[in-house]
Amino acid sequence: MSRLGDIPIRIESMESPVPDRPDGGLGGAIDAVLSEIASLLERLAKNDEHSMIDLRSLPLSQADRAALQSALGDGEVHATLQAVGRSTARETRFAGVWWLEHRDPAGDLVAELLEVARFPQILASAPDEIADAAKALRSHRRLQ
Amino acid sequence: MSASGPGLTVGEMLRKHGVSRRGFIKYCTATASALALPPWMGAAMAEQLRNAPRPSVVYLSFQECTGCFEAFTRSFSPTIEHLMFDIISLDYDDTLMAASGTAAESALASVMKEHFGRYVLIVDGSIPTGASGAYCTSGGRSAEVILREAAKGAAVILAVGTCSAFGGIPFADPNPTGAWPVSAIVGDRPIINVSGCPPIPEVITGTLLQYVTTGSLPDLDENRRPRAFYGNSIHDRCYRRPFYDEGKFAKTFDDEGARNGWCLYELGCKGPTTYNACATVKWNGGTSFPIESGHGCIGCSEPGFWDKGSFYTAQAAADFTKSGETRPLEVLEFAGATLTVGAVLGAGSAGVGRLRQHRSELDEVAQNDKGTP
Amino acid sequence: MTLDLLGFARGPALKAALAIFCAGVVWRIAAFALLRIRRDLNRPRTSMLKYMSMGVLAIGTRSWPHPQFVKRTGAGEALGYSYHLGLFAILLLFGPHIEFLGSLFGFTWPGLPSGVITGISAVTLTLFLGVLYRRVTSRVIRMLSNFDDYFSWFVTMLVMVTGMATTAHLGARYETLLALHILSVDLLLVWFPFGKLMHAFYIFPSRAINSAILARKGAPS
Repeated sequence: MSRLGDIPIRIESMESPVPDRPDGGLGGAIDAVLSEIASLLERLAKNDEHSMIDLRSLPLSQADRAALQSALGDGEVHATLQAVGRSTARETRFAGVWWLEHRDPAGDLVAELLEVARFPQILASAPDEIADAAKALRSHRRLQ
Repeated sequence: MSASGPGLTVGEMLRKHGVSRRGFIKYCTATASALALPPWMGAAMAEQLRNAPRPSVVYLSFQECTGCFEAFTRSFSPTIEHLMFDIISLDYDDTLMAASGTAAESALASVMKEHFGRYVLIVDGSIPTGASGAYCTSGGRSAEVILREAAKGAAVILAVGTCSAFGGIPFADPNPTGAWPVSAIVGDRPIINVSGCPPIPEVITGTLLQYVTTGSLPDLDENRRPRAFYGNSIHDRCYRRPFYDEGKFAKTFDDEGARNGWCLYELGCKGPTTYNACATVKWNGGTSFPIESGHGCIGCSEPGFWDKGSFYTAQAAADFTKSGETRPLEVLEFAGATLTVGAVLGAGSAGVGRLRQHRSELDEVAQNDKGTP
Repeated sequence: MTLDLLGFARGPALKAALAIFCAGVVWRIAAFALLRIRRDLNRPRTSMLKYMSMGVLAIGTRSWPHPQFVKRTGAGEALGYSYHLGLFAILLLFGPHIEFLGSLFGFTWPGLPSGVITGISAVTLTLFLGVLYRRVTSRVIRMLSNFDDYFSWFVTMLVMVTGMATTAHLGARYETLLALHILSVDLLLVWFPFGKLMHAFYIFPSRAINSAILARKGAPS
C-alpha cells in the first residue's frame, strides 16, 4: 500500500479530454477534420452556404489540436469580442475558415468552434441594436 | 429571483440587464456545445428565444436533499447562471424566495391562476404517501395534494433528480415513507424525467432551454428521459473504454492499474447499464466526472439504483442477496445445502438402483438354474 | 423491491438455477457412483493397482482415435475438441465471466482481451453450426440422435448467441440483452444435470472404469 504523496498528480485541462496517444503520434483525426473543412469551404464557395464545426464534439488530443492549429495557420484578421466574457475570432490562412474561442467571465473556455463563412455571424451588428443605436446617437448631446 | 415585467420578451429582459445580442448568442452557443447539440442550434435557440415571452416556471421541492436545486443554480459560472434566470421567470421557489408563510402560499396560488395551462412545473424530491402524507407537508397540506393541484395547470412537468423521476433514495428498500416518483402520482400531464443524483446542471438547464425554445417535448426514452442526454450509456462514451476492451482492470483503488487510469469495472462501475451525459458533458463545466476522477459510476440516473447491489462489486458478480454482495459464507452455505440435497437424492436413486441390480442378479441366477440341464 | 427482467435473471432465477444445477449434478454423480459394479467372477489377470492405474491412464491414451479409425472419425473429433476449447476460453478467460466465477469461488485469474474473446466466439459459433450440420447430414449420427442431443446443442448455442449479442449491443437495449443472456445461462444450468451435458462429469470416470474393467480381464491398454 503506497502513501498518498506517492500518487502522481496530473492536471487535465478541459481543452484536452482525450489522453494523448502513448506513442505521441497523431491520429488520422485531423486529416478527417481538414477534409470536412475542405468540403464545407467548397460549399461556401459554390452556394454561399455557411456552416460550423464544434471542436469539443471531436475526440482530439492536445497533440491533435496543436497539429490542427498549425495546419490551419493564422490569417489576416484577429477579432476580440467582449460580451459575457472574452471571445476571439481568428481567420486562418484559409480564407473563410475562422477559429472561434468563447470564454466566460472567469476566463474558462466554454466553447470552441470552426466557422466556415464570409465572416463569423456573431461579429455582425444586429439590426434592432443598430436601430436602437441610431436613435441613441441622434439624441446625443453633440447632435442637439 | 427575478420578477417578470408585464409582457417582456426574453430579448427585452436580457437587454434590460445589459446582455447584448452577441452575449446571448454566445451563451446559447456555449450551451449547445456543452450539451453536444449541433452548433447551428445555438444560434437558432438565440433567435427563437429573443422574441418569445418569458416562460413562467414554478419549482416545487418535496422529499429531497436540495442537491438537485443546488445543481440547477450552479449551472455554468455565476454570471451565466443569471442568464438562465433572465430567460425564464422563476415565479415560485421555496428555497430562493424571500416570502414565507401565507404570503408564499398566496404567491403560488396566484402564479398558478395567472399562468394556468402555461407554466413549466419543475419538481424535485419524491412524494411520500405513507401516514396519509404526513412525512412531507407544507402549510398543513401533504406533498401529494400540493403536487396534484400544481400539476393541473402545468404545461409540462420536469421531474428533476432521481427522487422525483424514479423515487430515489426514499424509494429504496424498505421505503419507509411510502415514497413515489412524480409519474406515479400524476398521470395526465406530459412529464420529462431529468434523472441523476443530482442531474448534471447543464442537462437540467439544457432540457429546460430546449423545451422553452421549441415548445414541445424532446425525444424521450422509455424512462421519459431526453434522449439527447440519456441516449448513450456511460460505458459507450467512457474514455477508459479501450482499457475495458483490452481487459486491463484496476483491482484496488490504489494499485498500478488505478494509477494508470485503467477500467474500473472490477471496482463496481455501473457504466454499462447507466444512461447519462457524464462522459461527454461532464461536471463542473466540463472539468471531470466520477470515472475520470477514479471512482466507478454508481448508476445514479437509473431507477432503483440504490437497490441494485454494492457500488464496489463488479456488475458481473453473483448477486443473490439484497445487499448485492455475495459473501463467502453465503456461497458456502448455499453450496453445502444444495450438495447435501443432491447427495441425499443421489443416495436414494443409488439405493433404488442397487435394489434393481440385486433383483436382476437374483433373476439371472434363477434363470441360470432353470437353464442348466 | 421491484425487480426488472435483469434483476430477476441475475437474482432469484440465477440462484434457483445454480441450486438445481448443484443438487442435480451431485444427485446424478452419486446415483451412479454408489451403484455396485457388476461382480466379475473371473480371476483378475493383473493386480488391482495395475488395472486401476491402467484405467486412469486410459483417460489420456483414449482421448484420440486409434490410428486405424482416425481417417473416418478424426475430423469429427478435431471439430469437437476445437469448439470445446473455444467454449472454455470464452467461459474462463473473459473479464466479466471471471468476475462472476470469482465472486462464487473467491479467487480470480487473468483473462484475455475482450476483442480476442470476440474472435474466439465467432470461430466457436461457426464450429458449433458445423457440428449441427454434421449431426443432421450424417445418416448414422442422425439415427443415433434424439431430443436430448438437439436440445443440449440448442441451449448451449443460445448462451453463445445471446452473449455475443450483448457485447455487440445488437438487437435491443443492453439490459434486455444481458438479461436474456443470463436467463439462457439459467436454462443451461437447469437442463445440465438431466441431459447429455452431464458428459462433462461422466466422460472421464466412465472411460476410466470401463478401461479398468477390461484391463482386469487382461486386455492390453
